[in-house]
Amino acid sequence: MKVLRWLPWVALAVLPLVLHSNFILTIFIFSFILGMAAVSFNLVFGFTGQLSMFHAAAFGIGAYVTYLAVSRWHVSFWIALLPTIAITVAISIVVGVICFKFKLKAFYFAVVTMAFSELARLIVLNWNSVTNGTLGLMVLDKPVVWIPGAGSLKIDGTTAWYYFSFIGLMMTVAVCAIVLRSWIGRCFAAIRLNEDLAQTLGIDIFRYKLLSFMIANILAALAGSVYAFYIGYIEPSYLSIAQSLDIIAMVLLGGRSSIIGPIVGAFVLTGLPHVIELSAELRVILYGLILILTILLMPNGIVGTLVSRRRAT
Amino acid sequence: MMQLLIGQVLNGIIVGTLYGVIALGVTLTFGITGIVNFALGEFMMIGAYFTWYLVDFGGLPFAVALLPAVAGTAACGFLTDQLLFRFTRNNLVNGLLVSIGLISVVEAGALLLWSATPKEMSYVLTGSLQLGGISLPRMKLLVFGLLAAVILCTYAALSRTWMGRAAYAFAQNPEAAMLMGVKTARLQTGVVVYSTALAGFGGSLYASLYTLEPAMGGLYILKGVEAAILGGIGSPLGSLVGGLILGVTEAVGSIYLPSAFRDAYGLIFVVAILLYRPSGLFGADK
Repeated sequence: MKVLRWLPWVALAVLPLVLHSNFILTIFIFSFILGMAAVSFNLVFGFTGQLSMFHAAAFGIGAYVTYLAVSRWHVSFWIALLPTIAITVAISIVVGVICFKFKLKAFYFAVVTMAFSELARLIVLNWNSVTNGTLGLMVLDKPVVWIPGAGSLKIDGTTAWYYFSFIGLMMTVAVCAIVLRSWIGRCFAAIRLNEDLAQTLGIDIFRYKLLSFMIANILAALAGSVYAFYIGYIEPSYLSIAQSLDIIAMVLLGGRSSIIGPIVGAFVLTGLPHVIELSAELRVILYGLILILTILLMPNGIVGTLVSRRRAT
Repeated sequence: MMQLLIGQVLNGIIVGTLYGVIALGVTLTFGITGIVNFALGEFMMIGAYFTWYLVDFGGLPFAVALLPAVAGTAACGFLTDQLLFRFTRNNLVNGLLVSIGLISVVEAGALLLWSATPKEMSYVLTGSLQLGGISLPRMKLLVFGLLAAVILCTYAALSRTWMGRAAYAFAQNPEAAMLMGVKTARLQTGVVVYSTALAGFGGSLYASLYTLEPAMGGLYILKGVEAAILGGIGSPLGSLVGGLILGVTEAVGSIYLPSAFRDAYGLIFVVAILLYRPSGLFGADK
């Protein structure tokens, strides 16, 4: 059983060696990067039970800060991740402290985080001298990695990006798995299942909610940086509510009760509209129908449904 | 300057009552079915396009076109309730996501049907009243009057009629209401349909003032939800007041402050009210 669990990862790792279609590999790259955002969102939504609408804002802020650090200070991609993390932590603390100190729950938490997310988007949209407003920014740099034996390598081309984003996704999954398996993860679960009881048992719910919100936002910001450097273009719509909703849709479609569920959702929602040739409008309609039908017919998502079916037989 | 200020306040009031009518739908749906119907903005869009179609293609006068447009929107609302929302009662997250899926479907459908080109309806009522050097367009006054009347009538109906009290009873304690003979399934469907009809009515009146585009619903539902929270979830009068505060703040704020941030001024109010008075201005204390 242990071997089977690693099989999909191995299959994904050898895929570019077998398959040379750039079209399909590109869909995989997008699925990996959006999967990073979806997996990290599930940390705060599926495992801690807080419906944050700030996720796309963290994603977009990550993209902008990394690019600005690279272009203004002429540092490498990796050094630029440090200010990205620092700024994401600072913003998460401000938003998180306001929301959690005042004990906002469910719908109210969603609305206030949505308000902050809109505020962030408006700032990015209107701070023309730094963000270039609606026109967005071109990202011409690419990250450079050092590989033993091969020297430093610029990440360019589909195969290189495939592995880069794949490793990014694995790191995100690993961080989430480590956090969730430790005592922190059990505190998150306690908060999700019964907040009052968790408090009675001596869990500092304020601290753990903030921690969950912060880790998720950091991982989302890193996903945003990778996304920006892959596409080579950043625009304010990265921070839009629609982007948050896309991420939520991925998590629900894949299943919110497991770490890898959101990756499945990311694959389906990224891949399906491209596999079927449709006009832009019909593609959006299909997307909406997938969302509606999954929620009505498979409320536990694809992975959740498969797991419960296997247990039943 | 005075003319500008008063003009902006008037614009704010008109837009604010439109927010208010959506907020009323949000509040009612939330109170009775436990979900927030984010697709209400789309029903507003549907109502607006129906009206435009009936007036410009059907050649009906605006006052006559209003009724079939609202009825058509309510029929769409009934359809979505029976097909979708019936299955998401009291499940906030699922209801939210189903309504978001519905937004994608309806908006893209509207793009296919009516294209992205903004549509403009012929003027319904021209001219304006002169009041001490200030001109008030008559159509805007009429729209404000009609929307405020609808909200106030809903408030009166909720507190005076048997159905209204049944709705209140159901919101407080569903089981007890059921035991007292309230037909709960019918009540829930009725409220969902009524809130879509309200949105359709708002859309019809919107069509008489502004240009239409398929994406118009998204903005109004966000403002409607904000207004509902500002006024207090569960309070019909609160949604009107919340909408007015939001509309006037944005309109007046964009004179003195950078207008690019007009969507943010209302949000600051909403966050402040949630932090210091979570039940909203008119909501019951808990």
